[in-house]
Parts: sequence; C-alpha cells; structure tokens
Amino acid sequence: MCLVAACARSDDRKPATATQLELEPELARTYQSACAACHARAATGAPLTGNDADWSARRAQAGDALLVHTVNGYRGMPPLGGCGRCSEADLRALVAYMAGGPAR
Amino acid sequence: MIGLTRRELLRAALAAGASAAGLAACEREERHVPVSEEWSPGEPLPWRNWSGIERCVPARRIAPASEAELVALLASGDFPLRPAGTGHSFSGLVPSDSALVFLDSLAGVISADAAALSAEVWTGTRLWRLGPALAALGQAMPNLSDIDYQTLGGALATSTHGTGARLGSLSSCVTGLWLATPSGELLECDARRNAEVFHAARTSLGALGVVTRVRLANRAAFRLVERSRFVPLESLLADLARERDANRHFELYAFPHADTALAIATNESEQAPDATGGDDPEAILLLRTLFRWTRALPGVGMRLYDAFLRSQPASERAGESHEVLAHPRTVRFNEMEYTVPAELGPECLRAILAEIRARDLPVCFPLECRFVREDDVWLGMFHERAGFSISIHQFQDEDWRPYFAAIEPIFWKFAGRPHWGKLHSLDAARLAALYPRWSDFQAVRRSLDPRGRLMNAHLTRILGA
Repeated sequence: MCLVAACARSDDRKPATATQLELEPELARTYQSACAACHARAATGAPLTGNDADWSARRAQAGDALLVHTVNGYRGMPPLGGCGRCSEADLRALVAYMAGGPAR
Repeated sequence: MIGLTRRELLRAALAAGASAAGLAACEREERHVPVSEEWSPGEPLPWRNWSGIERCVPARRIAPASEAELVALLASGDFPLRPAGTGHSFSGLVPSDSALVFLDSLAGVISADAAALSAEVWTGTRLWRLGPALAALGQAMPNLSDIDYQTLGGALATSTHGTGARLGSLSSCVTGLWLATPSGELLECDARRNAEVFHAARTSLGALGVVTRVRLANRAAFRLVERSRFVPLESLLADLARERDANRHFELYAFPHADTALAIATNESEQAPDATGGDDPEAILLLRTLFRWTRALPGVGMRLYDAFLRSQPASERAGESHEVLAHPRTVRFNEMEYTVPAELGPECLRAILAEIRARDLPVCFPLECRFVREDDVWLGMFHERAGFSISIHQFQDEDWRPYFAAIEPIFWKFAGRPHWGKLHSLDAARLAALYPRWSDFQAVRRSLDPRGRLMNAHLTRILGA
C-alpha cells in the first residue's frame, strides 16, 4: 500500500500570486482565460503558476520539451494549452511566465 | 465524465489488488500514445483539438479585436474560414487549411438587466469565466454543461447541455443573438427580428457566420448541493422516472462489465461548501488500473470489480451553481454521444451494456446518461423531443474506433441524434431524417453562405453542401 501511496500527489499546493516575469496585457488576458483554468486551480493536478516546486524539474528538461508538450498536448493538458490563436512566441512567453523563468 | 471523489478508497482497493497479485504499484496509466502527427520546433504551428485527433495547419489565425473588425474582415475577402472556440469538440467542426477565427478578444459580459434577469454576453467568453462573472451580477445560467472549458459560442453552436428533465440545452437559454454573416453584415436576431436566422443560429455548427454575442435568459444566482451514491444499476433504472422528476438535476453513470451505477442528484441548497466532496479528476485513471487488474483475475475478477465499486461511499459537493455543475477534466478522452427519446433511454442503455459484455470489449470508462428538456432549436438534439443523452468515452491514449463502431448502430435503432461536437459517422442524408426543420436550416445556410465559405470537410459531409 505504501508504494501506491507514493503515487499520490499533494493536493495542498496553492498557486503563487505572481512570478518573476510579467506578461504583456494581451497575453495576460490569454493567461487568465486559457492557462489559469488549470494552472491556477489547485485541484487539477497541473503545475501551478509560480510554484517553484512544481516547475524546477520541468524547467531543467532539455531543449524545448515544455514548448513541445504545450503544442502537442501532454497528459491532461490540451494541445496549445487551450489557446488556439497563440503563436509560438506567445506560448513560449506563457510557459516562461508560469514556470517562473525560461527552460534551461 | 465521471466525478468520482473517493480516490483514497480506490487507491486502497488498488493496493490490496497489487498485494494479492504481486503487481508493481505506482503504475501511472499514462501511456500517451500519440494519435496524430507531433509538432517539432521550427515547423508551422498546427491547430489541434482538445483530445488531439483533429489537426490542421491554418494559413491564418485571426483574432479580431472587435466585432466591427470581424465584420470588416468578413466583408473584405472571400477566403474560406472557420470559427474556432477552444477546440473542445471531438468532431471535425474546426479544421481548415485557410483561416481560423478566434473570438478571444470578444469575451465577457456586455450588459445585464437585473429586473429581467438577462445578460448580453460575448460569445468568446469561456464558460468557466462566465459563471463567476454572472454571479457577480446576481445571475446564473439555469443549467451548465459538465465541462466548462468551452467558449460560450462553441457550446451554443453544438447544442451543448447539462442534465435536468425540466431544463433545456444552453442554446434554449438564448433569446437574442448577433450574427456576423459571411458577406460582412451584422444581423440582430430574435424570435421577431430575422426569426428564421435566429432559430437556425442558436445551434449553427458555425455554418451560418460568426455569432458574436447573445442575450441569455438567466435566473437569480443560486447554490446547489450534488449528492453522489453508488447503487445497483437495475434498481436505479426501475426507479429512474422518480429520480428524474424528484431532482432538479439527475444523471447516472453506468460502469461497463459491472452491475453498479453512480447516481448523482443535484438540487438547490444553502448548504455550505463541504470539503469532503471535492472533485478528483484523475480518479478515472485509478479506476482504469483497478479494472485492468481485476479483469486479469480469472472467474472472480469482474465480481470483485463490481464489489469495489459498490463499496464506494456516498459523497457531496456544495457551492454556487457554476461551481457544482461543472467539473475539472484533466484526463483527456474521446467521446461519442447520442440523444435518444427520453422514454427509450433505459432500454438503449441496457442494449449498449449488453453489447459491451457480449463482445467482451475491454472498456471501463463509465457511460454518462443525462436528461434534457425538449426545445424548439432547429438543429438542437432536443428539438421537439425530450432527450436521454448517453455518452460513451475512451481514454485519449487508447483507440476509440472499435468501441464506438460497435455501439453506434445501437443508437441508430433508438432514433438517436448525435451530439454535433462529438464523434459519429452520420452523413447529411441520415441526419436530415432526424431533424424536422433540416431543410429550413439548409435554406437559411444557403441564403447566408451561398458559396460555402464556412464549409470544411466535416461540414460538407454532415450538411451535404
């Protein structure tokens, strides 16, 4: 049973109120209408905006892994993160905003 | 989609199963099988739908900053285009190699009438943002869909609905709308002005133009409590009419290969939010693991599975209506849904479950069954017919086609109408036979879009254009 319990994800995470990056006003609106549906809701299992514990390992992934996952969809996240009108540059900025910095 | 909230108990059941079977624990059911071409940096950015099975690379992505800009755009050219919401539909309503139009900038409540309890709303508003916005004005939509990621426009275009025998689809709440036509006009429509267009455009499939804003008939904001319990399926079906009539909202989930159902009754209540009944959108993955493990046990497996389900405790969720009616869905899937005449619902459900058993289909995703009141929306699935909507799902990382192909003919036997945003194989000839106002809709469509500017491959198949 303990092995199964190890799969459990903490449900007491809270979204941070801000990250170190800022978004242009239009992208800020996009974040609020699309990304925040999951990345600002603690119960969805998505990494929460500005929560470094959620993002540090993800930021460390090689290359454009986060961007590729965003565009193609990954596990529960829909393709393009739910923003069909976003450009590649938009998505890069939104990912960096939520992750608290660009991938490295 | 199911709202299981007893993840801990399922996990305990899994642990017991793992111990008994000597299986490795911590098996996350996330094989993530790609279902279509994957994008790599440097390639043109594709558009894909929520489940990933629909894809296109549009030449243009257009996000007009205003309604006037959209109308001018439509008037200025004749390139093909498709309006896109959030891409939650499973069917091919959106893909276009030409242009996709996004109304992200046309979002929010425009105005509200406190006395009439109505509001004018931009259709680019996402449902999950609309509920709180209306609540701040003391209003709420009478009903909502189970999922709230869609834009209002996308939900209306596909006759999206919730559950409740006395409650209609979201489209039935529209009392007025503004349509930007393919030729670049802005038509205001309601039951008196441009009435034919109004009746057609409340559920338009995005084939008449772009509906930019709507007037919604709301009600005063209200609170709900949702009570879920696992019960024997047959006893629930025997009592279904009473449950349907006794509750503001009632739905059931039937579990393939089991004799148990999840009954969910939701009613108005001033009860305070209850922390014990929070949503757990990933419980469905644990259910799949449980199903696979028990299915592998010869002889007793499915009885054990059913016993596990029936041992789940009841649960409650309470809150504002928009908080209770919609659920976060973070496990992606593909879905087919047909609405059959309400009185035939239980018989159709039994036939489907029997077919799954007879073919021994390896599926565990619960079947969702909902009631919807009849309406007068020309292409609504509930047009002049109260409906019992049955949804079948398959996980996004599994092939849905053999399962859906096996079940779809059963829906046909019950005169089912497919959900416009979900998977089905009907063409225009067969759809026409299901909708008394089909030819009227087509006449409106031809008058507004004589050159088929809004057609794509999917619409050409289902509308015969």
